[in-house]
Amino acid sequence: MQFASQNYFQLFSITEKFHIDLGVLASRYHELQIETHPDKFADSTEQEKLMAVQNTSILNEAYATLNSPLKRAGYLLYLHDVEVEQVNQDELAMDLLMEQLQLRESLEEISNDESAQSQLDDLKSRVRDKVERCELSFGINMEEKKYPGAKELFHELQFLHKLLSEIDTIEERRLGY
Amino acid sequence: MALLQISEPGGKPIQPVRKRAVGIDLGTTNSLVAARCGGSVECLPDDQGECLLSSIVYYRKGKEPLVGSAAKSEMIANPGDTIASVKRLLGKSLSEIKAERQFIPYDFNEGRDDQTPAIRTADGDKDPVIISSDILKCLVRRAEDCMQGALDGAVITVPAYFDDAQRQQTRDAARLAGLKVLRLLNEPTAAAVAYGLDSQDQGNVIVFDLGGGTFDVSLLSLQKGIFEVLATGGDTNLGGDDFDYLLADWIRNSASSEIDYDADASAHTSLLHQANQAKHRLSESPVVEVEHQGQSLQIDNIRFAQLCESLLDRTLLICTRVLRDAGKKIEDIDNIVLVGGATRMPIIRSAVAEFFGKESMTEIDPDKVVALGAGIQADILIGNKPADSFLLLDVNPLSLGIETMGELVEKIIPRNTTIPVIKAQEFTTFKDGQTAMSIHVVQGERELVSDCRSLARFELKGIPPMVAGAAKIRVEFQVDADGLLSVSARELSKGMSAEIVVKPSFGLNADTIEQMLSSSQMNAKNDMKIRALKEAQLEARQLIDATINAIDADSSLLNEPEKKSIAAIIEKLNLAITQDEQIKIHALTEQLNRISGDFAARRMDLHVSEALRGESIEKLEKS
Repeated sequence: MQFASQNYFQLFSITEKFHIDLGVLASRYHELQIETHPDKFADSTEQEKLMAVQNTSILNEAYATLNSPLKRAGYLLYLHDVEVEQVNQDELAMDLLMEQLQLRESLEEISNDESAQSQLDDLKSRVRDKVERCELSFGINMEEKKYPGAKELFHELQFLHKLLSEIDTIEERRLGY
Repeated sequence: MALLQISEPGGKPIQPVRKRAVGIDLGTTNSLVAARCGGSVECLPDDQGECLLSSIVYYRKGKEPLVGSAAKSEMIANPGDTIASVKRLLGKSLSEIKAERQFIPYDFNEGRDDQTPAIRTADGDKDPVIISSDILKCLVRRAEDCMQGALDGAVITVPAYFDDAQRQQTRDAARLAGLKVLRLLNEPTAAAVAYGLDSQDQGNVIVFDLGGGTFDVSLLSLQKGIFEVLATGGDTNLGGDDFDYLLADWIRNSASSEIDYDADASAHTSLLHQANQAKHRLSESPVVEVEHQGQSLQIDNIRFAQLCESLLDRTLLICTRVLRDAGKKIEDIDNIVLVGGATRMPIIRSAVAEFFGKESMTEIDPDKVVALGAGIQADILIGNKPADSFLLLDVNPLSLGIETMGELVEKIIPRNTTIPVIKAQEFTTFKDGQTAMSIHVVQGERELVSDCRSLARFELKGIPPMVAGAAKIRVEFQVDADGLLSVSARELSKGMSAEIVVKPSFGLNADTIEQMLSSSQMNAKNDMKIRALKEAQLEARQLIDATINAIDADSSLLNEPEKKSIAAIIEKLNLAITQDEQIKIHALTEQLNRISGDFAARRMDLHVSEALRGESIEKLEKS
């Protein structure tokens, strides 16, 4: 079996689109794991073991990519030859930048007192709502092959996820680790 | 003898070839070995019927080391030569060891390298790898006795939170003990396997594993035979021993004694022993008395919990973190599995129950559960048990990255990524004409290199001179299913093959292992004699079994005098086996072989002619 040459959607035999059934993805992933995992080759030759490690690594990467909406979005754009690594400031709409700036400010303004946790929770649910709406529009843009629009939404998702992980870091610091 | 073991065409062989695979829990305080015996996987006992082997080794000049309870009784008399809790020393430098432990009764020496300090003992320098392998050898001998033959493979468990150095050294210790390592298995995963393999459970399980010296928490999702670790966390320096230390501090402070424990190793050891006893008794009764230096002290579990509040908080904080990493809430947890002797403490049980709002599963002995899970996994990996839908998907416990400009860490594989995994990242040169690049591999969650653990440093040379930023250097990290890392780097832009592959510096190379193995063999001539006897006994027993099976199957081919003479030889041979008389065993085995040879030939004829006739009558009747 050789996984290296397949696109991740083909690998799991699922239709190439943004909104996918994560339950189906997980069960296909498990089926493939059972065939390729190095544990199935514990008593085999070094060559077979190495092959198993490589195939399973690709499988794990493929699953991690499709299982995360953000990574899946980036991967779909990559499959349609949309460059997402390089971003020009003028490609991003002004109101998007302003909104991100405001969200970031509200994070910085959170006071370090007893109400901090509930303020963080509020901000988190606001950001999550935005993520949800963003994902919905991304899916529609991709279906309609509106790639520039999809790309902008992808960058917005990147901003929002970055913000969520910063909220997490602050929370973790407050929890003491 | 081979002739006796004929099988019918299309039928099953009389004695199926089972490979001997064991699971070994190499614990801080106790170690165990488990294997499939008959129908189920069980922990194998020593000749006293004891499954737990104290992980203590006593070194004597020019003699085989003592392991287990025999070594334990030397702790007070010979504290410097009796090594306990060696697992806490694995993969650590001397400065790390000294920073972690308040008092160590051992005399450390420069070891093979910075990361492997050795302890001076009456029998020479012993490093943690050698000491661990001596414990393993003791378990291997036990298993080979029980299973009547050399082992084909072993699964060794490690705390999920063990870093790369600690895993490498565990594997080296196993290889040094002559074991083929099928897999390093994370302890919490092993525990989940012991609980869940045969049931069709679905759901999320927290494994809370507090051993003698290490703490692990894992969150697993169980689905139709697939055990998927979602997140894992822990502290390699937090365990049941720490509760002893706090109790010991309490005893010495409360008893206001004059003894300088830091200077007196025996007094310190006996104080710790007393604290340990008190801790165990607190698991049986709510209040206990401690006699120390003629004073009588009293402590109950409430006071004990107060003393240990910071330890309890640390364990629960790690639980919170694991839940977050897995993206789960407390309500999502369906079951809690307690592992490790330290989870017998009522103060732990109530803290865990309160935190998760649920009682834990404790049906399997928490001391044995890890070894049992490892034994099940070993049996499957070696191919004895067909388990098509059984699989363990594990994660790497700590982030792996490399040092970049400004002593910052660039993470390449974040923690809790499912393994095996291969990830690559491209870097570039920052000076014009730069031809070499130094790559520093680190492990840990912090942003500064100095706060992480350094795993390896290497230099990629032969980069073609180019302007700054033009070279493309691809650094590839690979973590295998055991959680062990290898790193390679390659210059891509000019297709130059400046390439280097490193394993982190802790592992022993094949030569060193070979050398260590041969030197240990020189000291073990006696072992060889014992082994020769064991092999003779084994061969004799197998021949007896095969002969008896053959007679049962085809007794009509023998007349009464023949049956009697075979029975008489078997009886003599059995006696020789029990009396360890190697020469007699050989002679009688030979005799039995000769006598049964004729019988075997007759059986062969019969079965061949049956096969030529086609299906046997018995089979025709069934179908």
